[in-house]
Amino acid sequence: MVLTPFDQLTADEKYDHFMERIEKGEKIEAEDWMPDEYRKALIRLISMHGISEIMGALPEKEWVPKAPTLHRKLAIMAKVQDEMGHGQLLLRVVEDLIQPLGKTRDHIMEDLFTKRLKFHNVFHMPAPSWGDAAIIAWLVDGAAILSQTMMLNTSYGPYGRALKRICQEESFHAKHGESLTLALASGTEKQKAMLQEALHRWWESLLTFFGPKSKQETGHTNVDIGIKYKLRTKTNEQLRQEFLTKYVPKIQLLGLSIPDEQLRFDEDTQEWRYTEPDWQKFKRIVAGDGPKSDERLALRRNSYENSQWVRDALRHFKEQASEHVG
Amino acid sequence: MASEQFYEAFEVFSRKRDGLPLEHRFSLTAPNKEMAYIMAKENFFRREAVKELWVVSRKDIRKMSQEEREAFQLMDNKAYRETRGYVDLPKKWKEFNHDTKVKEG
Repeated sequence: MVLTPFDQLTADEKYDHFMERIEKGEKIEAEDWMPDEYRKALIRLISMHGISEIMGALPEKEWVPKAPTLHRKLAIMAKVQDEMGHGQLLLRVVEDLIQPLGKTRDHIMEDLFTKRLKFHNVFHMPAPSWGDAAIIAWLVDGAAILSQTMMLNTSYGPYGRALKRICQEESFHAKHGESLTLALASGTEKQKAMLQEALHRWWESLLTFFGPKSKQETGHTNVDIGIKYKLRTKTNEQLRQEFLTKYVPKIQLLGLSIPDEQLRFDEDTQEWRYTEPDWQKFKRIVAGDGPKSDERLALRRNSYENSQWVRDALRHFKEQASEHVG
Repeated sequence: MASEQFYEAFEVFSRKRDGLPLEHRFSLTAPNKEMAYIMAKENFFRREAVKELWVVSRKDIRKMSQEEREAFQLMDNKAYRETRGYVDLPKKWKEFNHDTKVKEG
């Protein structure tokens, strides 16, 4: 039983108490004591997740006017709204974590524009055809669902609660992606070719989606800290293996080819073998030097500037309202 | 920055269906409670059932600290407040029943 008031404990005792809570499977809340390393890891993880939701929604909304049918337009709009909502939920979680450091949402945005805050490698890549839209919705979202589901039991309470909601909506996204893919795969020769080309374009990005296997590939990894603090339960490689097991048979069933001659399931080790992707290229892309990095950041900047009038109107309304009260 | 004072934090609660309790859903920022209500509705309840929606300014909520939460867990001697503190009742009734039968015999 702890009888000493918590704030009179030594730093080591506080840390031990924190780790005991983690080991017991307790959830940590925003105002609880937490080691700096834990806070930093959460801020890095959740801000990247939140910003990636938004950075993914921005190019996706460009498909609304170009989608082939009204039903597809509506479904994409619904998805874009969901992703923006996810971004907002997650940024709220980050805001509570950075508040004690004297930071706000403005700092998150500043870090995004100066490329200090990274977003997912897949959102730095071009998506030139409707086939790309299908592959992204099916496989990129499919990959995202695997990593988000893995973190549902995360030790940080507010993140776990946000993820629960996000995963529920993502299950609709997965069906939407499957529907787009199946329509093209059972379509005309031209449609099939479009899907095939898109898969070839996206394969390497999909393989790198979960991040490097170990430190050797890019020089650092945050997986160990994530596992120590029970933020996550699986390594990057475990997730990649899960992804391949789930999707390779489906891709083959559709008669699509995968651009990797080394790809096979090794019965002895019960693991997928694949050609190691170019991790240096991955590192450059995530650092903001991908083919579409600047264009996507410009979309974010424009969307902020174009909605300035809404904030101005709100500010005007708020000032008037407070004058009435005063 | 200016946005710090412009936006305030709200907590959102909703009741999915009649007969269910109001549950905390998530948090959002808005310049006032009317906007918080609109944001909650438009941004997050486009799909799921909602019978009731509340937004509460976070500054009006008195939360528990970590220490308070942990102190709460220590109180496990409350059997006298619960039905499980009265599990001997059927046995007592049985004894009465037995006594009556003995007298009748």
